[in-house]
Amino acid sequence: MREYFTGIWAARYFWMHLAAADLRARWRRSFFGLLWCILQPVGLTLILAFVLSRLFHTDIRFYAPYIISGSLVWEFIMAISVGGSLSFVQADAYIKYFRHPLAIYSLRTVIANLAVLGIASTSMYVWAAIVRPEMVGITWISALSVYPLVALVAWPMSTLLAYAGSRFRDLPNVLVLVMQAFWFISPVYFEVGMFRRGGLNKLVDYNPLYHLLQIVRAPLLEGKWPSATDYAFCFGTALFFICCAWLVGRKVERKIIFYL
Amino acid sequence: MSASSHIRLANVNLHYPVVAYTHRSLAGMLAQLARGQRQIPALKSIHALKNVSTEIRKGERVALLGHNGAGKSTFLKTVAGLYPISSGRVDVNGSVRSLFDISLGFEPDATGRANILYRGLLLGLAPGFVRARESEIVDFADLGEFIDYPLATYSAGMQVRLAFAISTFVGGDILLLDEVIGAGDASFMAKARARITKLIDQSEILVLASHDLHTVSSLCDRGLVFHHGGLAFDGPIAEAIGAYRSMNGLPNG
Repeated sequence: MREYFTGIWAARYFWMHLAAADLRARWRRSFFGLLWCILQPVGLTLILAFVLSRLFHTDIRFYAPYIISGSLVWEFIMAISVGGSLSFVQADAYIKYFRHPLAIYSLRTVIANLAVLGIASTSMYVWAAIVRPEMVGITWISALSVYPLVALVAWPMSTLLAYAGSRFRDLPNVLVLVMQAFWFISPVYFEVGMFRRGGLNKLVDYNPLYHLLQIVRAPLLEGKWPSATDYAFCFGTALFFICCAWLVGRKVERKIIFYL
Repeated sequence: MSASSHIRLANVNLHYPVVAYTHRSLAGMLAQLARGQRQIPALKSIHALKNVSTEIRKGERVALLGHNGAGKSTFLKTVAGLYPISSGRVDVNGSVRSLFDISLGFEPDATGRANILYRGLLLGLAPGFVRARESEIVDFADLGEFIDYPLATYSAGMQVRLAFAISTFVGGDILLLDEVIGAGDASFMAKARARITKLIDQSEILVLASHDLHTVSSLCDRGLVFHHGGLAFDGPIAEAIGAYRSMNGLPNG
């Protein structure tokens, strides 16, 4: 285990470079470039907030930050699950050439997407600060903890999916379906109150995604600190994926090269 | 460099599971039904290295000889630590530098100069170290002003020159080569050969897989002949070449 992480550290220039290369490739020859990180979620939020606030009779100004926080985190989770499951398949040339721990290739996926999330979320803070200036305060610091937390969940999760994705190539398509179902039962765009009014409390209270979103939403939208339960759920989810990835990795890590 | 670079293999067996390559797609199954075939011929796992034992010590220059699929590349990749073995023991001591695919990781839209840095980072070098050696690599590749143009504008020969210049400027204790890389036009070729020779001189162990018997006999002093996954001969290079020829029904040259 220790040797494995020493290997990851030793290869740091390698995976940092790959993550940076992914970001460069993403906006290659694009006029707005990196700015698309911000333009895309803001545009989507404007459209969604306009439609959904009419449908649900909520105030667009307040609903928009809710949607933007949901869509940013959701986009990240989709990228690290569906994209993450392809981490090893896409790095096959490197895996066949260099002897590095495989988790660096899922780490690359996580870091590139974390950078996108980081840049994109500036729009969330600005928006929240404009429409809810009364909420701006010391509690906002806690919103920053969402980045290490999502990374802690995302890295083992995408590593686990990448192990499976190398062997079962239908996995990304299955994941799209599964994640869509998960989206419908999670308060990503739909307000928490809608679930509770419908008697679906359990979908909220036992949903790790709800608790993860609360890390951002509690301070930004309610001016409160996230609860200990929110953090407990996040760490619990991370621990679950760390254990799974470790158990699976122990068995299959060395054999993955044969499936690429 | 470590004092006692060595490669030791004891009763090494390696099987490729071919299950990954048996198609199990719906389209494939339907096509099979349409053709009236009932069963796909079952593929067995490939026994790529059969009970291989050998020891390569510091200072040795070893050639791997054998027909296509004999196990030369599998041997190299096993020594490089890429393939997990099914049984036996592999013990490799010393830093391993392998030159299998020298163009891996190039970014076509970035300049030659940027690609020097990228490729260096892929080799695990620190950015500062690569930048310090950059001018040396630029001089060697000798691409003139093209070094600041995107790689996509390069001719195939220019790309190989740059790839060669970057990949060969750091060596290791153990140098693994899958065919000696020739690059570019005649004048560059001479330079490239000199560079490879220097790299080999600096290394403590050279393992070279090649079909070019002339090169092999000039660079190596020992030969391992592989035949259908097994190590069929191990000895001085001249005798190894003879064994290789007779095993594969080649005329003596």
